[in-house]
Amino acid sequence: MPTIRVSLSDLESLMGIKVDLKAIENALEALKGEVVGVEGDYVEVELNYDRPDLFSAEGLARALSIYMGIKRPRHYEVRGPMTTLDATNPPSYRPYAYMAIVRNVRLSDEAIKQLFQLQEILHRDYCGDRELVSIGLYDLDTLKPPFRYIAVEEAKYVPLDYSEEMTLSEILERTEKGKAYAHLVRRGEYPLLVDSEGKVLSFPPILNSEDTKVTERTRNIVIDVTGTEPELMMRILNVVTTSVAERSSEPIVELVEVRGRGFVKSSPDLRWIDMKLSLSHVEGLLGVRLGADAVIDALSKMGLIASYSGGDLVNVAVPPYRIDVSDEVDLIEDVAIGVGYGSFEPTLPPPTHFGSKHPIERLSLAIRDTLVGMGLKEVVNFNLTSSSIMRELGLGDFVELANPKLMDHDALRNSLIPTLLSTAKVNQNLVGRLEAFEVGDVFPVSNGYVKTDRRVGILLMGDGFTLTDAIAIVNSLLRILGLKATLRRCETGYFIAGRSAEVLVDDVSLGCIGEVKPEVLVKLDVTKPVVVGELSISRLMDLLSQAT
Amino acid sequence: MGLLMVVLPELQYDIVRSLSESGGRLDASSLAAKVGKRPEDLMRDLEELRAKGFISISYELVNEVSLTDIGQAYLKNGLPEERLRLTLSKQGSARLSELKETLGLDDNELAAALGRLRRFGLVEVRGDLVVLRENLMEGFEKYLADVKGFLDRLREGPIQLKELPSIAEELRRRGMVKVRQVKRIIVELTQSAKDMLAKGELVGARVVTSLTSQDIVTGAWRGLVFKEFDLSIEIPPRPISRKHPFMDFLNYIRDELVAMGFEEVKDNHVDIALWNFDVLLVPQFHPARRETDVFYVKGGVKVRQPPQDVVERTSREHYSMWHYSWRGELAMRILLRTHTTLVTIRQIHQRGGGEYRVFSLDRVYRPDTPDATHFIEFNQLEGIIVGKDVSFRNLLGFFTELAKRLRLGEAHFKPAYFPFTEPSVEGYVVHPKLGPLEVFPGGMFRPEVLRSVGLSTDYKVAAWGVGIDRIAMVALGIDDIRDLYTNNVKLIDSMRGWVR
Repeated sequence: MPTIRVSLSDLESLMGIKVDLKAIENALEALKGEVVGVEGDYVEVELNYDRPDLFSAEGLARALSIYMGIKRPRHYEVRGPMTTLDATNPPSYRPYAYMAIVRNVRLSDEAIKQLFQLQEILHRDYCGDRELVSIGLYDLDTLKPPFRYIAVEEAKYVPLDYSEEMTLSEILERTEKGKAYAHLVRRGEYPLLVDSEGKVLSFPPILNSEDTKVTERTRNIVIDVTGTEPELMMRILNVVTTSVAERSSEPIVELVEVRGRGFVKSSPDLRWIDMKLSLSHVEGLLGVRLGADAVIDALSKMGLIASYSGGDLVNVAVPPYRIDVSDEVDLIEDVAIGVGYGSFEPTLPPPTHFGSKHPIERLSLAIRDTLVGMGLKEVVNFNLTSSSIMRELGLGDFVELANPKLMDHDALRNSLIPTLLSTAKVNQNLVGRLEAFEVGDVFPVSNGYVKTDRRVGILLMGDGFTLTDAIAIVNSLLRILGLKATLRRCETGYFIAGRSAEVLVDDVSLGCIGEVKPEVLVKLDVTKPVVVGELSISRLMDLLSQAT
Repeated sequence: MGLLMVVLPELQYDIVRSLSESGGRLDASSLAAKVGKRPEDLMRDLEELRAKGFISISYELVNEVSLTDIGQAYLKNGLPEERLRLTLSKQGSARLSELKETLGLDDNELAAALGRLRRFGLVEVRGDLVVLRENLMEGFEKYLADVKGFLDRLREGPIQLKELPSIAEELRRRGMVKVRQVKRIIVELTQSAKDMLAKGELVGARVVTSLTSQDIVTGAWRGLVFKEFDLSIEIPPRPISRKHPFMDFLNYIRDELVAMGFEEVKDNHVDIALWNFDVLLVPQFHPARRETDVFYVKGGVKVRQPPQDVVERTSREHYSMWHYSWRGELAMRILLRTHTTLVTIRQIHQRGGGEYRVFSLDRVYRPDTPDATHFIEFNQLEGIIVGKDVSFRNLLGFFTELAKRLRLGEAHFKPAYFPFTEPSVEGYVVHPKLGPLEVFPGGMFRPEVLRSVGLSTDYKVAAWGVGIDRIAMVALGIDDIRDLYTNNVKLIDSMRGWVR
């Protein structure tokens, strides 16, 4: 979940009042946020993915002020367009660009940090790590509009935080961001954002220019988004523009006319969205009848402007930065939060149908009860196990992880044998002898297709245990289930030759049991004799359902 | 009589009876001999009898007389004076200077022997010659019989005498016996014991710690007294074979959900992203789909083609909600399910409309960094309530009921976010020690999600997924999630069970 760092004094100056941390924490709950750390003037706030408008102090202060009743939502003054962005010759693989201008801002050092943080989190969480959308902010007064978004073979400028000019290729090779994002651009067709005099704003999605960067002296800001997803780009631009505008007491947003291939469009799009909310839908989804007034009050706490439209309907205007709102259910959630989740009395009517356990769980329980009754102890293991043990034992195909986190849990087990052998190893110095079992799922792969097979595995460890003991357990277990086993030789790489058995019922093979080869035990650092085996509960279930 | 009867352990009864037969008073050694035990084996029972008021115990000082080695030798070979007289009887007289050698006596012994004989006027010493006189034989014979009789009493071991006879004193001086003062234990029946015995109110019985089948069959149980069990003794624990407590707990959860009308369902652990993410409207650029958050599968694994209508609807819904171009190939990536919402959403796809409640309790996989409460594999309890009149309040009602059934106390609710539900909720309970535990996430499935899998939006679905491992840790008193999945039988033995 996105976590942002904000300064309490910055929040106070944006909200225009003294705030206490407790009040902020309470209000944050309605915004699905939580203070997870406090360090002097700074607090760490964990937010949720759905509200990108809160990913910096500007938007957070705006939502908190409205929820706490300090401010009302405002419409930002929009003018223009007064200039253009020519995107008719863009790179073919990143063809879209939009722009916005915000005038009359005042930026502190903290404000610049916040806008940077906003960009970073949006890039990471909403922009496919810059693959879909890339964002940039610049000082308008260092530039000469109109602007152009073009594809170039090569160019030169001073990249952000550097003091020397570099070519685009050098930027890809030498800078940290260049190395990280080089895969997003194509040689011979590098994206470039320039002003009317060819001055470089940015080499998107890689690095902005040092000469056009935003500083504490900046009063007018240009924002750009470039990428592959025009609608997503416009929404991101709306969020960034409205956040920047919060840094001004008299913000003016200036539209930029974008001329793309086959389209002309003004950006950003700060129109409020009009939606209809049905009171009966509110009641249907929440299970509580709310009057129009209560609904309108709740929505206004959440920053939406609502009015009664008569009958069953409420008109709702959604601000352009609330890009999470797409359906009526999003409004209904805001109603629920505005009213307070604590105000809903929980009710659950009795069921209209009978419940039931999964048959495989019922059979598994019967088997577990029987084996415990025979004096075996139940153990549990993870389904993720070590691919090398499965290969060592020659257990056949299995599902291997492309990105394992722990090397001894890098594949799904296709048999209980590996985890039973590790159970032997874990316990060999804790107990003299051990009779244990495990009931669990395994995931054999045949012809490329993965199957889930529920199995029961038996482990006998210690001097004196032989195949006889394992067969006795299997026979007793099957007898309880009303079945009778026939045995035949089962040769595998890990059983002693001639000391193993395949268990069959009505010609269906349930699995193998046997005495483990000493060379296998030695390889796995097991120092006591082991008899091990597994039966398929899934197949047993098929047999039992056929029998009835 | 029955009411007053006292049953004594067999040995204690023997003691009382032996005392009674001996006039009600005996020293401990004699008593032990009578009941056929060593005195030291009697002490505990004597103490118990005294505590019960049946006997009194007192002590007295007595002289213990025992044979010395000399006494032992005289008893065997005869006293020196006896042997001297015999020699003289044969010879009539003897030379003093030769007698020592003939009899093998030292000077003192010879002098003492002569002294005794002289006292009875049996000998005369004339210069070196000793002459026997046979006139006073009777007195000497009696003297000899007394001495040898006394020594004979000591043959079997020391004897205890309250008064020391003069002969004992003489023998002690001549080094034939040893005398020392010792304390003697005197056991005496009390008057009440005598009375009860006389009236037959005291009976004896065998004390046992366990009944045997022989006791039952032979009727011997009638004469048995059961030893009182000492509850202060620490009894060693008994080893157990048990079902794994965590598996047991999960099974209990299943029972509770069944009781609430839920049907258990299962589905694939390995599947395509479409079912794990896309039909749930998780955008393809969402960070939860990155390799740091999802286990993807190496090549070679095949999956069946997803239904084309689902793919088309999913694509449309993604565009209209998230405003980007959805890519089918990203939906075909094969992964280990990160949640069991994959299971429940497919149930909706398979079953369509209607009224039903289903749940899944099974493993899911995420590349979390392992710590005390996280592992890369864990269990999730997930379920849905489907129907036309299902509401958000019912979801809260479900959490409230589940919290009650799991003894977690009252459930509280706060807003939350999941891409596939709206409204969304995070339910939590407040644990007395651990504080708030956020274990009840859920929400109402979004209409876009329902449309993707082909369910009419006339239906509403309350969906929930519970972090059951966290609850199991609390219920079983376990601090590390990895211990829930342990194969260490010592650790399993030590876990407490889930008390329903």
